[in-house]
Amino acid sequence: MPENHSARRSEQSFAGGRHTLARLLSEYGILLAFLVLVVVLSFASEYFLRADNIINILRQTSINALLAIGMTFVILTGGIDLSVGSVLAFGGIVAASLASEAFGGGVVHPLVALAAGLGGGVLLGAINGLFIAKWRMPAFVVTLGMLSMGRGFTFIYSDGMPVPRIDERFLVIGQGTFLGIPFPVLILAFVFLVSWVILYKTRYGRYVYAVGGNEKSAQVSGVNTRWIIFSVYAISGFCAALAGIILTARTTAGLPQAGQAYELDAIAAVVIGGTSLSGGRGTLTGTLIGALLIGVIGNGLDLLGVSSYYQQVIKGAIIIVAVLLDSFRKRD
Amino acid sequence: MKKILTMGLASLATALILPFAPGGPRAEADEPYKIGAAVYGLKAEYMRLWTTALERHPDVVSGMVDVTVFDGRYDASVQQSQFETMATQGFDGIIFVPIDIEAGAAAVATASMRDIPVVGSNTRVNSNQLASYVGSNDVKSGRMEAESVLECMDGEGNVVIIEGPIGQSAQIERRKGNLEALEQYPAVEILEMKTANWSRAEALALMENWLSAYPDQIDGVIGQNDEMALGAIQAIEQAGLDVEDFCIAGIDGVTDAMLAVKEDKMVSILQDATAQAQGALDVLMARIVGPDYQPKATVWEEIPFDGGSEAVYNVPWVPITEQNVDALLEEREKLTTR
Repeated sequence: MPENHSARRSEQSFAGGRHTLARLLSEYGILLAFLVLVVVLSFASEYFLRADNIINILRQTSINALLAIGMTFVILTGGIDLSVGSVLAFGGIVAASLASEAFGGGVVHPLVALAAGLGGGVLLGAINGLFIAKWRMPAFVVTLGMLSMGRGFTFIYSDGMPVPRIDERFLVIGQGTFLGIPFPVLILAFVFLVSWVILYKTRYGRYVYAVGGNEKSAQVSGVNTRWIIFSVYAISGFCAALAGIILTARTTAGLPQAGQAYELDAIAAVVIGGTSLSGGRGTLTGTLIGALLIGVIGNGLDLLGVSSYYQQVIKGAIIIVAVLLDSFRKRD
Repeated sequence: MKKILTMGLASLATALILPFAPGGPRAEADEPYKIGAAVYGLKAEYMRLWTTALERHPDVVSGMVDVTVFDGRYDASVQQSQFETMATQGFDGIIFVPIDIEAGAAAVATASMRDIPVVGSNTRVNSNQLASYVGSNDVKSGRMEAESVLECMDGEGNVVIIEGPIGQSAQIERRKGNLEALEQYPAVEILEMKTANWSRAEALALMENWLSAYPDQIDGVIGQNDEMALGAIQAIEQAGLDVEDFCIAGIDGVTDAMLAVKEDKMVSILQDATAQAQGALDVLMARIVGPDYQPKATVWEEIPFDGGSEAVYNVPWVPITEQNVDALLEEREKLTTR
């Protein structure tokens, strides 16, 4: 096919002129969008930047951010975890049942209830991981199955009823504060730091990226790819259960229908944060900013009295723009 | 009468024969009535209570009626296909708790084509083929809860309304009731009205944000259900404010709300699941068996049964007060023990 040289050259220079702008946008676009949003909202509502409102945003974001951190591990390997909302409910209800006198079997120490809830989440995550890593099933299918099964387990276990009257000591997990900072925020900060160290300071973290970048070559260079893939689903299960436990402690009841469709916000946070759905590229900090962005939109629109319908439109638009930026980055 | 007599004889006969002939063919008259309960979904506490109450109706316990519960999974098309299944299987009657007020009509039509009587319960459906409806008037509950909040506020100040999923019949009717009550109090201003989709977690976040947006301005919270009112209470407590400074109301009478009423944190109005479920079965049985049928539900001590011939039975709302809360909690305990 004959090529039109001049046209091609002009196209190149056109692309070249946008190169730096596109690059800047794709690297810092979301951070920029986040900052712009914060500035706009701080002018739109005098309450937005007040300390108690900022604490509200962080507390409200903590649930989704925890899910999104686990989801980041999974997506970095090129997988997906659609079951986090159900695992959240399962972990929450298991912990609640052990911390409530209403459920029979007595009240155990809150740390035992916490451990049991987390164990339940890790178990469901590990089942996901087993099918995906060992038997090479598509993550989408396996976790879609677990989305349904996990919810079913939760309803069977609780008989479809909420678990009320939870031990006060357990509720501290969601309601306590330290130096004015709510526990859910501190837990999020801790989990974020630990995850950051795991991803960026350990061999394991490098392997997670390697598996997502190119599983075959990772395997050839001696990485136990099956173990890596298995483990990220267990991590996601852990994070989801932890989020469920915090939600339980925040709402003072184990709610079997909690967390429905939460996987969408978690995936949105990861994608907005610049992690590639095909794996291997992305950052944990991006995910945190993505989660904060979603949280700030919700909070800001509530403060301004805007209908939640708009919230969905805005969130959807941001997701699409984020992926668009990602495709610019890929072209570079 | 004749049928009951035959049934009695037949069951006597079967009682004698059955131990010797297990699994053998049974006389037509001996077979229990096959009743289907098509409920919109079993994921929330209220429908669980409703189902349990239905299964504990004396006729079900005695084996005269065999109830099958169909979980509509919050989807009108799922309910439609369940009606088709029941029609093919030759059910004697159906109790219908539709997810959608309009889409439910097609399901009722499916059943009435096969002359299967359908009695509605709890949520409404726009169909003239419905044999009867046993439920509670949501406009009334919306008015009652709003009135209690407004009276508690001494008729002045600011309220926020936390709404159910926009477009659901309960949300539409409870809002109507809310606004009717508010019209009587011109000195009260509605600061915000927004949905939290019946969810405690969503209402918690919403109320936190409202408390930021309107510091020291919110006096009353009208939650269109208990879960959302409970979320608002949680937000107030976590903001370090005193719940006693707020007038809060919800509807349904879920267990946690009863506990909150006991602690004087809110008021709630009990939607009587037992009366709705067992009353609906009584009305349905009267249609199937005929005027000789003896209703069993206790709700008929409060409203007239009229041989099950009325088109609509309004099950009264029960305001939960500090006086009756313990008795109601005890009753609830019975309904939730496995």
